[in-house]
Parts: sequence; C-alpha cells; structure tokens
Amino acid sequence: MMKEIETRIKEVVKDLFTQNKIDLFIGYSKGSLPLTSSPCFITKSEDIEKLVWNSFCSNNLAVYLPRIFNPQPRKKEKIELPRIGILAKGCDARSIVVLIKEHQIARDNVFILGIVCQGMGDRKKIRNDIEITGAEEKNGRITIVDENKKEIELKREELLSDCCIECQHATPPIHDILIESGNQRPAAPKGGGRDFEKKSIEDRWNLFQEEISKCIRCYACRQACPNCYCRECFADQTKPRWIGVTDHISDVMFYQIGRIFHQAGRCVDCGACVRACPMGIDLRVFTHKLVRDAKELFDYEAGVFLEEGLLLATFKPEDKQEFISEP
Amino acid sequence: MIEEKIIKKNRLNAMLQELSKEYSIYIPAGENGDFRFCELRDTNDELVFWDYRNTRISPKEILFPHSEILYEFSRDESHQFSISQNNDDQRKMKNVILGIRPCDARAIGFLDRVFIGEPNERFVDPYYLKRRIHTIIISLACNRPQISCFCTSLNGRPDGEEGADIIAFDIGEEILLKTVTEKGKEFIKESSKWLGNVKKSDIDKKNKIFKESAKRINSRVSVEKVKEKLDDSFEADFWNEIHRKCLGCGICTFLCSTCHCFDITDETSADRGKRIKCWDSCMYPLFTLHASGHNPRPNYKERMRQRIMHKFNYCPENFKELFCVGCGRCIRNCPVNLDIREVINQVSQLK
Ligand code: SF4
Ligand code: SF4
Ligand code: SF4
Ligand code: SF4
Repeated sequence: MMKEIETRIKEVVKDLFTQNKIDLFIGYSKGSLPLTSSPCFITKSEDIEKLVWNSFCSNNLAVYLPRIFNPQPRKKEKIELPRIGILAKGCDARSIVVLIKEHQIARDNVFILGIVCQGMGDRKKIRNDIEITGAEEKNGRITIVDENKKEIELKREELLSDCCIECQHATPPIHDILIESGNQRPAAPKGGGRDFEKKSIEDRWNLFQEEISKCIRCYACRQACPNCYCRECFADQTKPRWIGVTDHISDVMFYQIGRIFHQAGRCVDCGACVRACPMGIDLRVFTHKLVRDAKELFDYEAGVFLEEGLLLATFKPEDKQEFISEP
Repeated sequence: MIEEKIIKKNRLNAMLQELSKEYSIYIPAGENGDFRFCELRDTNDELVFWDYRNTRISPKEILFPHSEILYEFSRDESHQFSISQNNDDQRKMKNVILGIRPCDARAIGFLDRVFIGEPNERFVDPYYLKRRIHTIIISLACNRPQISCFCTSLNGRPDGEEGADIIAFDIGEEILLKTVTEKGKEFIKESSKWLGNVKKSDIDKKNKIFKESAKRINSRVSVEKVKEKLDDSFEADFWNEIHRKCLGCGICTFLCSTCHCFDITDETSADRGKRIKCWDSCMYPLFTLHASGHNPRPNYKERMRQRIMHKFNYCPENFKELFCVGCGRCIRNCPVNLDIREVINQVSQLK
C-alpha cells in the first residue's frame, strides 16, 4: 500500500508542476538513517523521484509554511507569495487549518495533498542500545537489522508514536486532493493521558519538575512546532527579559510553562515537540492535558473546522469558568 | 615511556572509592542505552557503562557547563558596590572523567585550544581552566561503534588516544590501561597498588578486539577539500538550498562535542545581580544580535552557513583543525535528518 501511495503522490506532484500550479512542493525524501524520512523541498519536476512515502514520514511539514509566507527580516516592498504544494497527514492538515485561522498562511497559495494517515512510527520506540543498521518495510511489517546482522521483525503497530495511537483525525480535515490509504485504521480508543490527570496536584507538579529537569533549553520543541511562529518568542525577548537564561529548574519551568500554555486550544497533538526533544522528555503529557481540557470544557478541537472561531478568540455566555479561581 | 597496566573490572569499585576521596569522578550513567555523564555518587554501584555506545549529550558539559554564574554583585544603601566570585565549585577541583569516548576526548583537546590556547597565550578562560587543569581524562576505546560514527574520516579512531591522559580498553574480565600523557603516567603511579602488569596475551587480545572495531566503521566522508572549497563559497548558491529543511533548533550545536559558543548575560534586580555565562548557538535568532536590532544572520540560511563555516573553515584557519570529530550526535538527533555528512559531501563537490 505504501508504494502505491508513493506512486500516486509522485503523479499528483508531477501534474502540479506540469500545469504550473505550484513553485515548490514540500514532501519527504529518504532519510540517511534506517527508520527515518526527511523533509524535502522540490522545486523542479526532475527531483520528484526523490519523494518517498513510508511509516516514518512523521515530521509535521506545516512548520515550514509560516516562514515562507512571512520571511524574515520583513521586507518593505510587497513580496510575491509563492505557490506551495504540501503533503499533509491528518495532523499536518490540522496545523494548516490552525495557521489559516490565525492568518499565518494564504490559503489560496497552498495546494494541500492530503493523505489518510495510517499512523507514523517512532524510531525511539526501539531501545537505544540496539544499533539499527538497516530496516525494511513490507505489508505492515517492519524488519530491522542490528549490527550483528540479526533480523528483528516487528508489526508496524508496535512502533507507532504515542500521538498516532491516540489520533482521532487520520483523515486531513482540509485538502485539495485526498489519497485514500485503503484499510482504514479504526479510530483509537479515546482517553490517553488520563494517567496524568488521575494524579494528585502534588504528584503532577513533581512529575512535571522531574521531566522538565532534563531540559537543556535547546528550544527544539518550539522550533519543531508549527504553532510557534512568533517573530520573537517570549523566551528570546531581552527588552525586557522574561526568563532567566540558565538551565536551572526554575528558568526551565518558566520557559516550558509559557510554551505549553501558549498551546491551549491550538495544539493538534502531532507529537512534533516530543519527537524533536533530544533529551527524551515526554512533553506530550502536558500538552495533551490542554487538548483534553479544550475538548471537555469547550467541546473544541484545534484545527478540525476551518469555519469555527478560534477557541481563545471566541466568547459564549455559557462558557465554563469553574477553573477560574479567586486570587 | 608508555606504560600499560591492567585491572580486574570487579576491583575497579575499590579503586574508585579511594580516588573519590580526592577527585570528583564522572562516569556515563543511564539505562536502556541512554547515557549522560554524571558524578559518581556511590562507589558501590556496579559500573554498567562498559558496553555503552555514547552519551546523548557530549561530555563537554563537565568542563563547559550549560550555564554558570561567573560572579555576583550588589549595592548597599550607601551605594557601595561589592562583587563576589562564585565559589560553589571550589569543593573538589580535581576531576576524573572515566569512560569518555575517544572522539569526545579529542574534542576536549580542541576546546583546550579555544579556551586555553597554546602555552603563554594572551587569553585564557579562567572558568574553563579551573576545571580543566586538574582533570584526568581516561577514555574508553569503542568496541561497538554506531552506524552514524565517522571518526575515522576525521583523523580519529575508535581506539584513538588524542585528548586522553589514559586510554582504557575493555578486554573482557579486565580493563587494560595505557598511559598517553605525563599527567596520565603520574596518575597511574599514584594508583599503582590497584594495578597489575599486562601480559603479552592481554595486548594481543586488545589489538584483536579493536582492529575489529575499526573495521565496523563503514561511514566515510572525504574532508580533504572542505576547508579550501569553503574559502570561496561564502556567496555560493548552495547555501540557499542546504538550509531549507533546518528548523533552527540548535540541537546539533548543543549536543556537539566541539561547539563552544557561549553568551554572557547579566541578571539584575534593583540592587543585586549575577553575571552568567551560558551556551549559545549560531542556529538561534539571538546569536550576535546587535543592540541596534540589526541581525547579521537574520535567517536560517546565514545561520547554517555560520555553523558549517565555523567548523570547517574558520577553525581550521585558527586552530589548524576541522572542528568536527565525527561523533555523529548531530546526525542521530537532528529532528529533520539534516545529515552533516551529506553537507560535507556537497561542499566537497562545490565547483
Ligand atoms: S526540545 Fe527538549 S531539551 Fe530542548 S528545550 Fe524542548 S524540552 Fe528542553
Ligand atoms: S539539529 Fe537539524 S534542524 Fe536543528 S538546527 Fe541543527 S540542522 Fe537544523
Ligand atoms: S559536527 Fe556532529 S559529528 Fe561533528 S563533532 Fe559535532 S556533533 Fe559530532
Ligand atoms: S565516533 Fe569513533 S571514537 Fe566516537 S564513539 Fe564512534 S567509534 Fe567511538
């Protein structure tokens, strides 16, 4: 199935270029390590062959759109906006919806090639001490080869990212062409992240501190996130400076609390931050709590309906407000 | 003269116990293959790092920590200023770094050149020096290189000695220790009561294991022309393409064993403050941002160019060394798989 989708992607992209509908296509190419794919920018039809589709096309490609439409430094003259084709799984498309609603991208200049996603694998699910020297994917099974040429066969499902296991929106909510992927994965049982919610406030706080204490402030979680398009992040501001610069737990928590809360009603649970974090911090535990709160308190899911107002920019008289506490 | 000694693995704890009275001992600690250098707290703990591959974050953090307070200052009611040096690091200034991989040991040699320089150098970084001067580096030769290791392309080897005072070889039940520097020899002398003499068979065993190990490194890039090619490529079109997928996250620089950029910041309140040194990265928007608001590297393109130029052109110019040791950290951890080996290859092919 993966191969057929790949062929179909290439056909569509070829047409887009032949009909001069796009200037640039963003998809995936083969990664340099086993079990990886890499974002890839195609500007001419000769390069279309580089495109791949497999179980490791996990990057959220929407992250590249804001910077294309709002290049830095800001130009005085009006720039001609490029026409972009982009491959979008369910989560990428949801990010695109968020970005359109937040006026970061020009809808008319984006051609969305949607794919009904089967869930993406996570290389980190394999123990770090197994040195994977090769991998092959076939009929829903992934065979990895270790350094002693030993083969280990895994089911695709065993490698699925946590966010993909719980994903409710495998079909892109917005698209110009949609590629079906056949045997549709049943929507996952709802309710991930409940463990965290069941904990007492103290335990949650301790868990938060414990996880976050591993942070080295590289900001990869921010850079990998399509929602983090601010021209100047609060964490980078120097006049005034909001956060201390050290890796001391209080500074790090300040950064993370800021980053995480800026995702309220916006996070699409694509897992980009978790995948990027070099220190293996499970950031999703915290953002997922916000995702659930948005759903439970306001029946809102980010990036699903283009016409619906943004959660934080809409007021309804019946909005819940129990969580607002007296000072 | 080179000296070789041997110690049984199960005797090592006793030796470390005694050493820990005088030294802070840093070892790779972790689980499931995920390691980071930590200070050894309990010398009874079993040492589990013999087979580890490498730490996720480079051991440069021991000598050049993410952030450190250089000094604090304050003002009293009569507007008298006072400055206090930060002393909390004074307890034990003697360190042993045990188990560092040869590539990373070599990288410490590079950092020495940046922060300490040649003898009688005009500028020495006192904060680096105070940690470095009493530090003994005992590297551990690699028996299980990773597919992203490419040290052999950059003058390194899985049993390379550069940068270490002593190199250790795991030969099964025992560890063979070989001295590299005078400092290492001195250290071996001090610890002699724990160490035995090597037999010819031990050396043969060692040679066999580590010849095998070098053979396992299949990842090769050609770096011969890189410096020269970059001399004329500042304006090359290549930079417009190569950065495109980069997220500007800085992982490649923070984890890198040779990256050494830092920033100095004052954190102040009404009448007191601290001067702090912390890691910086050329991949960040704040890097060398001018007070006027002008940014000489306003975009991903210029930042990526700075990273590559610094490693493969400016450093070779200043320190006669390509500032990459092939540890592969940036390859394993880049979230978009922007592989430095591919960048090097492409640079080599520039016209
Ligand atoms: S990616 Fe991880 S280490 Fe980097 S800033 Fe985010 S949480 Fe911290
Ligand atoms: S780790 Fe990769 S994405 Fe991040 S700054 Fe480095 S090259 Fe760019
Ligand atoms: S550039 Fe990459 S491979 Fe080279 S020393 Fe740095 S982290 Fe290691
Ligand atoms: S790059 Fe070479 S020295 Fe470094 S860990 Fe790999 S094999 Fe060992």
